[in-house]
Amino acid sequence: MPTAIESADAAAWKEPTPPSSRLRWLFLCVSVLLLALLLLSGALTVRFLGEMRTQELAATRALADRTRALSGLWLSIQSYDQAVQQFVAQTAADRDAEARRRLDQLTLEIASDFERYPRIRDSEEDALLNGMRHVFVQQRTMYITVLAARPAERRRQADNLAAEHLVPVQKQILDWSGKLQAWNGERLQHADRDLVSQFANLQGNLSRVLAVGFGSGLLLVLASMAFIVRLDRQTRARYVELARSQHALQQLSARLVDAQETERRAISRELHDEVGQSLGALLVDIGRLSTMLSDGPPEIRAEVKAQLDNLKSVAERTFQSVRNMALLLRPSMLDDLGLAAALEWQGREVSRRSQIEVSVDSESIPEDLPDEHKIYIYRLVQEALNNAVRHSGARNARVVAELKGESHNCQSIVVRVTDDGHGFDPARTRGMGILGMEERVKRLGGNLHVDSEPGKGTTVTAELPIPAAVPA
Amino acid sequence: MNQNSVKQTSVLLADDHTLIRAGLRMVVAAQPDLTVVGEANDGREAVAMAERFKPDVAVMDIGMPNLNGIEAARQIRAALPETQVVMLSMHSDEGYVLRALKAGAKAYLLKDSAEADLARAIRAAAAGKSFFSPAVGQVLLQDYMRRLERTGAEDTYELLSPREREILQLVAEGKSSKEIANLLNLSAYTVETHRANLMQKLNLRSVPELILYAVRKGIIS
Repeated sequence: MPTAIESADAAAWKEPTPPSSRLRWLFLCVSVLLLALLLLSGALTVRFLGEMRTQELAATRALADRTRALSGLWLSIQSYDQAVQQFVAQTAADRDAEARRRLDQLTLEIASDFERYPRIRDSEEDALLNGMRHVFVQQRTMYITVLAARPAERRRQADNLAAEHLVPVQKQILDWSGKLQAWNGERLQHADRDLVSQFANLQGNLSRVLAVGFGSGLLLVLASMAFIVRLDRQTRARYVELARSQHALQQLSARLVDAQETERRAISRELHDEVGQSLGALLVDIGRLSTMLSDGPPEIRAEVKAQLDNLKSVAERTFQSVRNMALLLRPSMLDDLGLAAALEWQGREVSRRSQIEVSVDSESIPEDLPDEHKIYIYRLVQEALNNAVRHSGARNARVVAELKGESHNCQSIVVRVTDDGHGFDPARTRGMGILGMEERVKRLGGNLHVDSEPGKGTTVTAELPIPAAVPA
Repeated sequence: MNQNSVKQTSVLLADDHTLIRAGLRMVVAAQPDLTVVGEANDGREAVAMAERFKPDVAVMDIGMPNLNGIEAARQIRAALPETQVVMLSMHSDEGYVLRALKAGAKAYLLKDSAEADLARAIRAAAAGKSFFSPAVGQVLLQDYMRRLERTGAEDTYELLSPREREILQLVAEGKSSKEIANLLNLSAYTVETHRANLMQKLNLRSVPELILYAVRKGIIS
């Protein structure tokens, strides 16, 4: 029956729909978006900073290249000038050819120096460079006319040349070169200014992103906190409700157990006192009638005696079954002999009825326990032994009931029922019987523990505190 | 009923059920050597009446209100050592029998066979002898045999010597060591030694347990 009721209950029980999950999804999406935003802006910033660094490097390298090219050019022009001066100053005709070759070579070098100047340049720089080249070309044209003269004439012209042409031209070249240098410096400054403004731009962007991220994060946090607080309140309310209903359920089941016990006791007493005693009296009377019969006439004696014997056996059988019913409902041993004797009796009774031999050790428990404790311990052992008989296939069972604790204030009774049957897995199998036992023990403030393993037998242990008001 | 020719045994009946008590009274009254001196309704009343009438035998139901039969028997035996107790019960279980014996009862009767054995039980108790309904011995023996068979233990009775068996029976019948010594032509000291040995062999701790054992083995009934 219990299983049928359980399955019916299970069918009637519906999974309650959990509170809306849409809000949760919303929170998740917003969080993910926020994280993505932060990640993206971080990545962009890193990339941008990298670009800025490359730009800066390019600008400084460009400046360095130009400066180097310019100084090389300057040096070449200087050497050319010197070579021209020497050429003009010398008179020996035999070395003329060699000096000319050297001049040509220097000219080539200067041309290549011009070529080596970085090709990437804007129109202004181009103009400056071309100006410089132009001055050099002018200078060279002038030199060529000088160089074409004979050595004697050249010497005559030499002083004149140095004073009138060389110095201004050199100054002019220096000017151009200085201009170019200044322009380069300006360009670097320009690039720096560019970078600074770009950086400021980036800073602004980053701050905006951070502000947006922080703001929405704050909103998200506030919203989730509100959500959590709401959930927490709901959970608390539900927990309280659950605890209350559990308590009510326990109360109810305890009352049921009590009511059952009272009812059983009443029926048992009724059976024992009324039906049983009437039958007992009947038996005594029948016995007396049979003895009195010996005085009667022999012809009716046999017939009446047979009738009486028949009556007697019927009455005896009824008497037995009434007695057994009464015992099942309420073990009169508990009232007549006390708990220890009742447990021993139960052990023998189970041994008689079943294949299990039960040994009971309960001598040490006090007899002045509250009635409630006695009946609970009795029922607990009854349930455990019944389980052992029905399910375990055990050959032996042992019931131990003993007093635990030294002082009178904190004593408890430990009841242990062990069998050597095939056991079960208590985590998976939890029958109505065990639940009922647990409920009973809990009601008295104790605890129940089922220890079993497939193939290892079963031990049911219960510990019940004894109320301090009852001296042990 | 000739009071001079037969020694009269006075009997107190205690049972909380009037019908049963009436039946018992008729059974007892039918015997010429037995006289009912009082009837009690519960244990407390039984103790009070016993103290008033000082009967030779008190016949007592175990399940009585206020004070149950076993407790009442203990009080009566303590106050009046001359009064013997016959216990009436619906149960043939060892727990009842042993506790009745420990409380000082001499005889143990089952209610469903009370009318047949009551007179014999009262007479045996009055003479200081034990008496048990035959069904009690049977149940005890069955329990004992089953336990031996299932636990594989050996029958301790086999361990006893013939002399010890003799003494076991005499002790179970209610005889003192001195009486046994006289009967067997032994010294009281020797009897005590035999008695201690046999109780140790049978793992018995008290005379009631010994009597129970004897009943179970069918040595006495």
